[in-house]
Amino acid sequence: MKNIAATRFKRTLLASAMGLAAASLGAQALAQEPVASIDLMTTTESYDPIRYEAAFIIAERWEELGFEVNVQPTEFSTALERFYDQQDFDATILGWSGRTDRLDPQFFLSTLDSRQANPGGNNPGGYDNPEFDALFDQQSQAFDQDERQRLVMEMQELYKPDAPLVVLFHRDEVVAYNHEAFDGFEPMAGEGLYSEWGPMEATPVGERSTLRIGGPQEPDNLNPLASTSVWGWKWMRLYYDRLVRLSADVEPLPWAAEAVEQVDDTTVAVTLREGMTFHDGEAVTADDVAFTWNYYLDQDYSYFNSYLAALDNAEAVDERTVHFHLSEPSASFASISLSQIPILPEHIWSQIDDASTLSPDEVPTVGSGPFQHERFDRGEFMAISKFDDHFHADEIAVDGVEFIIYADMEGVYTGLQTGEIDVTAWRMEPGQISLAESEDHLTVVNVPDFGYFHMTYNLRRAPFDDRAVRRALTMASDRERMVNVLLDGRGEVGSSVIAPVNTFWHEAFIERFEFDMDAARAELEEAGYSWDEDGRLMR
Amino acid sequence: MSSRRSYLIRRVLHGFMALFIIATLLFFLFRLGLPDPTAALITEGLTPEERERIRASFGLDRPIWEQYFIYLANIVQGDFGYSFHYRAPVADIIWERLANTMILMLPAIVLAYGIGAPLGAWLSWRRGSRADTSGIFVGLMFRSAPMFWTGMIAILIFGIGLGWLPTSGMRTLPYEASGFLDKIFTLDFLHHLILPALVVALYYLGSPLLIMRNTMLEVYGEDFIEMARAKGLPERRILYAHAARNALLPVVTQLAVTIGLAAGGQVVVEVVFSWPGLGREILNSVRTSDFPLAQASFLVMAAFVITLNLLVDILYTMLDPRVSFK
Repeated sequence: MKNIAATRFKRTLLASAMGLAAASLGAQALAQEPVASIDLMTTTESYDPIRYEAAFIIAERWEELGFEVNVQPTEFSTALERFYDQQDFDATILGWSGRTDRLDPQFFLSTLDSRQANPGGNNPGGYDNPEFDALFDQQSQAFDQDERQRLVMEMQELYKPDAPLVVLFHRDEVVAYNHEAFDGFEPMAGEGLYSEWGPMEATPVGERSTLRIGGPQEPDNLNPLASTSVWGWKWMRLYYDRLVRLSADVEPLPWAAEAVEQVDDTTVAVTLREGMTFHDGEAVTADDVAFTWNYYLDQDYSYFNSYLAALDNAEAVDERTVHFHLSEPSASFASISLSQIPILPEHIWSQIDDASTLSPDEVPTVGSGPFQHERFDRGEFMAISKFDDHFHADEIAVDGVEFIIYADMEGVYTGLQTGEIDVTAWRMEPGQISLAESEDHLTVVNVPDFGYFHMTYNLRRAPFDDRAVRRALTMASDRERMVNVLLDGRGEVGSSVIAPVNTFWHEAFIERFEFDMDAARAELEEAGYSWDEDGRLMR
Repeated sequence: MSSRRSYLIRRVLHGFMALFIIATLLFFLFRLGLPDPTAALITEGLTPEERERIRASFGLDRPIWEQYFIYLANIVQGDFGYSFHYRAPVADIIWERLANTMILMLPAIVLAYGIGAPLGAWLSWRRGSRADTSGIFVGLMFRSAPMFWTGMIAILIFGIGLGWLPTSGMRTLPYEASGFLDKIFTLDFLHHLILPALVVALYYLGSPLLIMRNTMLEVYGEDFIEMARAKGLPERRILYAHAARNALLPVVTQLAVTIGLAAGGQVVVEVVFSWPGLGREILNSVRTSDFPLAQASFLVMAAFVITLNLLVDILYTMLDPRVSFK
């Protein structure tokens, strides 16, 4: 502040005292134009007060730096459309949720790949760095974990100094459960307590042995070839088994697979566990597995395309062995793809030509998972019961799981308070956290997230086409304050698209852009910017 | 008689025309005003090509006029299409949700008008008394208090504090009902109905109460009341048989409009009490840009309002011989 005031004072002095000389100085200043004003798009306050407030925290400091900033709260879907499809924005605050498959660095790194910069792609800011793209291809084919780790680190070191976006913060998921009814939960990063392990770990300590989960939303549908919501898949994965499941520490564990082996660069061999059956009593065979994967390829179910991108076809070699033939080497196939695609019974699905057009009562619900489907009453509840013939059945202490559908988190919290439900499936509202902490029967759990909220600059537009401006604006974004004030300390300041909680892949040292207004000013000055007598930034 | 029939035919035709205009407006309004239904899939990491294929499967890749005519042709055949979000026939979803909404709203409205109208008449009779002022005050208070607030207070007191009444949903789960009637003819359902229905009834109570009271006061000045008094009829009889009957018309109009709009549910109450009604569904369908579901929901609401208006006009002729078909 002192600096600016001093310069301003000097300038006024010069202008008034030096007459003619001042005129020539003015002419020089005229050569410099005010920097373009910035529209900062964010969500509406009612959709997400945190992102809304974050925009004002940023705008305040940017204005101090001499920019003209207009905060534009925008309805969520409209914001998505303007950001991704139309790329019609200056800077936008949005976020990526932390789905378990995104713990693999592939997805978040791809959001800076220039081949994703076309309209609708995942890199709307338009960051374009051929070196980064080349490394991206190398890491996605690197089988050796250490080699891949080195490449992923290098990519982060490469993009961070260019400041194409600001990773604002990672917000802890704060959930709660009733420890007088159930215990034994182990929270999972990005998943909270309603992870695929939650119901398998829960131990009844009260009278009821059916676990009740409450959530503010419901699945769009329970069709494994049509659902496009996280609510559909979080539920279906409990009754459909997968070859691999990711542990709570996100380590791939062979599950329906007994072993996963790399035969050569483009062939993965999976040996099935012995004696598995579907809920209707039919045996789970290599044919079912091969059928499922080929069926997903055929049916063109977009939601899974990224998992299937590397797959050419699947082939049942014998009763218990499946070979996956890949079109190119893929580092994430064995860990991510195998842990996401459910196993469908061939004897049921082979009779369905176009699975996406099934009406809700025609959708088969037979899986081979640890639970079996019971009912789904839309808008009210869903239920599954324990499948006693599952190989993991002895480890499961609950009889079944019921999911109660509320209209919003207010309803979910009331349900938790009155004992109607045992666990929240979604993060609590800030106001509910302190209430829950004061309740004797509730345990509040903080789960770090690897998803992130970001502010992305449109690199195609002034002033963000200038690297120095981006760096300065990033330094002037007070993320510490966002975490302390907006998140009440429940979260972590962002520094990379790969979150700190994702320790194996996270790069922690290069250019963290701590909040520093002086450094921001210096950065601008060095790049040839100056300020007019009103403190506006000129170039 | 023939004038009555031609009047009815004319009114029904007008109703259909209104529906046609509304259907057209809805179609273009949603397509121009709401974001692309696949926009939300971006955050799931879908590529533009994948989203384009999904749009094509919804028929959104066709020219808008073609979509419009298909839509009209389907409506005429009673086909409301397929929900983008649920992948289920829209009609199934709407009827189920509409039934859930009406089973909440009708008892609440009956309660509000059953108590409100007679109470308003009584207040007008005791005009200026303490009962009158406090009656007006209470009616206005609940009319002005936001329903989410009354709802939350009710939940706080009767649900959480006293633990007497359930605070969400229509039934204690996992109750397996074989059908809609099976679901609602249970004590458990009534138990769940009490809080939300009371909150809605209290909100609605003010209208019939105040309308009835004020119209009654006007009617008291009419000659036929003077006449009835001159005949020496008991005050009670004058009040209910002569004055109230004449003051009922505006209340009936209000009732019809209320029922018509009730089809859309009271979104706020449905959210606060997690009631699986049409109001919540409308909100969701707009939020997810589920065009077929949103269009059909609003169309059903419009049809309700239009039909009830027609019924009221017919009812008028029975309540008041001065109104005739012209």
